[in-house]
Amino acid sequence: MNVNKKIIRVLIVISTLFLALLSYLMFFNLFQAETVSTNPYNRRQWDEERYVTRGKIYDRTGKILAETIEGKDSVKRVYPEGRLYSHVIGYCSQVYGKSLLERQYDSELLGKGDIDLFQGDKKQGFDLNLTIDNNLQKYAYGQMNGKKGALVAMNPKTGEVLAMISLPDFEPDAEALEKNWNGIVEDESSPLLTRASQGLYPPGSTYKIVTAAASFENGLQGTNFEDTGSFKVGSLEVENYNKKAHGTITVEDAFRVSSNQVFCQLGFDLGSEIILGISERFGINSALEFDIPTAKSKIEYKKMSNSDSALVAIGQGQLLATPLQMVSVCSSVANNGRMVKPYLVSSVSKNNVILSETRTKTLGQPISADCAQYLENLMIDVVENGTGSRARISGVKVAGKTGTAENESDKDHAWFVGYAPADNPQIAVAVVLENDGGSGGDTAAPIAGNVIRKYLGM
Amino acid sequence: MKRVTYRLPAYLLIIMNLLGFSLLYMANDYQASVFYVGIGVLALFLLIYSVLVICRMGDKFLVLIASMLMTMGILMLCRLDIVMGARQIVWIGVGSIVFFLSYIVYYKIRFWDKLWFCYAAAGVMLFVMTLVFGMTVNGSRNWISLGIIAFQPSETIKILYVMFLACHYSGSWNRPFLRLTPMLMTGAVTYLYIIFLVLQRDWGTILVVFSIFIFMIYVYEKKPWFLFGNVAAALVVAFFGYKFLYHIQVRVGVWLDPWTDISNKGYQIAQSLFAISSGGYFGRGLGNGAPDYIPEAHTDFIFSAICEEMGVFGGAAIIILYFLFSYRCFKIALNTENLYNKAVALGLTLMFSLQTFIIIGGVIKFIPLTGITLPFVSYGGTSIVVSFASMGIIQAISAIEDRKGAVRIER
Repeated sequence: MNVNKKIIRVLIVISTLFLALLSYLMFFNLFQAETVSTNPYNRRQWDEERYVTRGKIYDRTGKILAETIEGKDSVKRVYPEGRLYSHVIGYCSQVYGKSLLERQYDSELLGKGDIDLFQGDKKQGFDLNLTIDNNLQKYAYGQMNGKKGALVAMNPKTGEVLAMISLPDFEPDAEALEKNWNGIVEDESSPLLTRASQGLYPPGSTYKIVTAAASFENGLQGTNFEDTGSFKVGSLEVENYNKKAHGTITVEDAFRVSSNQVFCQLGFDLGSEIILGISERFGINSALEFDIPTAKSKIEYKKMSNSDSALVAIGQGQLLATPLQMVSVCSSVANNGRMVKPYLVSSVSKNNVILSETRTKTLGQPISADCAQYLENLMIDVVENGTGSRARISGVKVAGKTGTAENESDKDHAWFVGYAPADNPQIAVAVVLENDGGSGGDTAAPIAGNVIRKYLGM
Repeated sequence: MKRVTYRLPAYLLIIMNLLGFSLLYMANDYQASVFYVGIGVLALFLLIYSVLVICRMGDKFLVLIASMLMTMGILMLCRLDIVMGARQIVWIGVGSIVFFLSYIVYYKIRFWDKLWFCYAAAGVMLFVMTLVFGMTVNGSRNWISLGIIAFQPSETIKILYVMFLACHYSGSWNRPFLRLTPMLMTGAVTYLYIIFLVLQRDWGTILVVFSIFIFMIYVYEKKPWFLFGNVAAALVVAFFGYKFLYHIQVRVGVWLDPWTDISNKGYQIAQSLFAISSGGYFGRGLGNGAPDYIPEAHTDFIFSAICEEMGVFGGAAIIILYFLFSYRCFKIALNTENLYNKAVALGLTLMFSLQTFIIIGGVIKFIPLTGITLPFVSYGGTSIVVSFASMGIIQAISAIEDRKGAVRIER
């Protein structure tokens, strides 16, 4: 072959090499650069910090939760409440980077985009005002009493998160964190996991709220069922809690006593399509937007059969949900069927001048107002006459649902979700106690009840 | 009409220099030295270019493209350290003299194709000298120190090597030597060089030399077994190198995953990626970044430093400039009728483009990193002078062809 022809082929190869370089550079910048540049070993991230005093973080009443104190030649990020906010605010360490709000709101805290030219030699970052109520947070933390699990309390109408606790937690102070890092990372109970927004649990019987909504929509209210204490189809067998048989009961009775048999039957009869459909309307299988990272609550089946949906109907099977997701489900019942986006940061300000404010955002309307009213009555019945009686508060109507979720270990998760006052909801709470072993009604309900009572000032 | 086509890039070059150095002047607290450096660079480029155009020395784009590359390099070097930038300009001055010298010498002498033995012997001599008098810089023993001047012989050897290969491929060297046919001789010399380079631990140059060899075989050799044999040999050697040589294992290891050992083995490549990722599309702006965090930011890693401050688009511009440069050189090789000149032009073109690919690919973690300089952009006397010398040869080849064409038309 002619030499020139071969040279042209070589030219094509070389051009391809250059094109590959260009494409890889663009690919890197598009898909990898963000993760790489925020690596804690990238010293550039801390360069700006030298010229900026990192902003403060306040609770809803103006109490300081995080501030940067400058010594003579040292700068220290101080958290006056210690561990209390380790799973809300996160940490800020030169060695291990930043997490949660410190990370998500890094550019605000560093005052990026500030156009104020007349400043001293050191710039002041913006402050964050949280929706958290410090007194409630402290109280709820005490109620959890160090038990592994999570608690989320929010205003069901606005989405303001009032308290958010994940346990176990850690000391967020940079110095302590750097000292204890190896122990924290190797700890089997994962103290770095923000369980409230990232912990995926089977929701157990609290999910019967969703199944009950589907039964209402399909006109099954008031239908009678024969409860023999266990549900059987094919190789699947599900027993009631403590194997109790309830006899002939309506759907509403079954909700109050939390009958697994009846709800499995409902899930099976309604079928996988309806159960999956209503779940997705409540936000399962889609990421929940929030101010700190969340895990996606999900129903994971390659192909969901009706016996799968029987399990999902009682919050088991391949269904996993975060406490934040469950409090949102509960809130939409409280809020006439409208689901609002939960949020932690109510505004960003500088020297008490508000720069940007978060507004309540409606995510959708998973159920109708009628359906919400129906569910509310069921949930009031649970607290007044059923499994949730230990969440009862004198003088206030509480609506709620208990759950005792089986999992890989032999100790169940105890759940409670609820809100109050039922006629004008102010607070919705979800509590999960991980591998607690007790039933939701016995262990989780009292915690939720106390937190609601504290918030309503009863 | 034809004139306009090469004047436009010249204007672009002037604008780039004016804007770049004004920016640097402001970023450096209005230091007068930056101003002088800028004037010096621009004057030098315009001088070379004017001589080229007035004396009709062949292709008019090569020097313009190289000048643009050098402008980007000097801007970054001055920003890193103004003294280094000034020294680089001195090297460019020396380089341009070498450019004209190599142009004239190559143009005047017409028996280059008879000297295969001289090239091979000179190469071996330089290698032996490196091993005897060499010093180790950054893990590679590839520098010779002659009193105040230190230089890297392996850079010069690459040109000699290309001229050596061209003797065979042009067909002027056809007698066996020590009973070995010229084809086998080229193989023997190539492997001898590679052994020397392994002793120096200069992996980057090995890659460049060997890829030139393979491409040249592909273009010129009639016997397919020689091509496949060499590729197979390379694969076997690469495999055993990876199995038994710790240096190569480390390099491949940090290429696959630099993050688990950031503070130690993966340090260089991680710092390079931090710089590129922090720059984004348009960069942090000249003087706003922190390229001093990158090790060797002035030589091997200058591309990362440019990406940080001038952005990924700045980096892309550099890659495209190199592509244009290679394309221009390829065109010269294609148009040349003289067989020896054609082979030399092709070899030098391959040298430029492969070297660029290997080092840029290395610092962006596209391929394993092997330290070599980025032609025309990196700081360093040897690199600049050798790049200029090679460009001078290609320039001479294009001029020879142009004159021939002109004569033909006149007749």
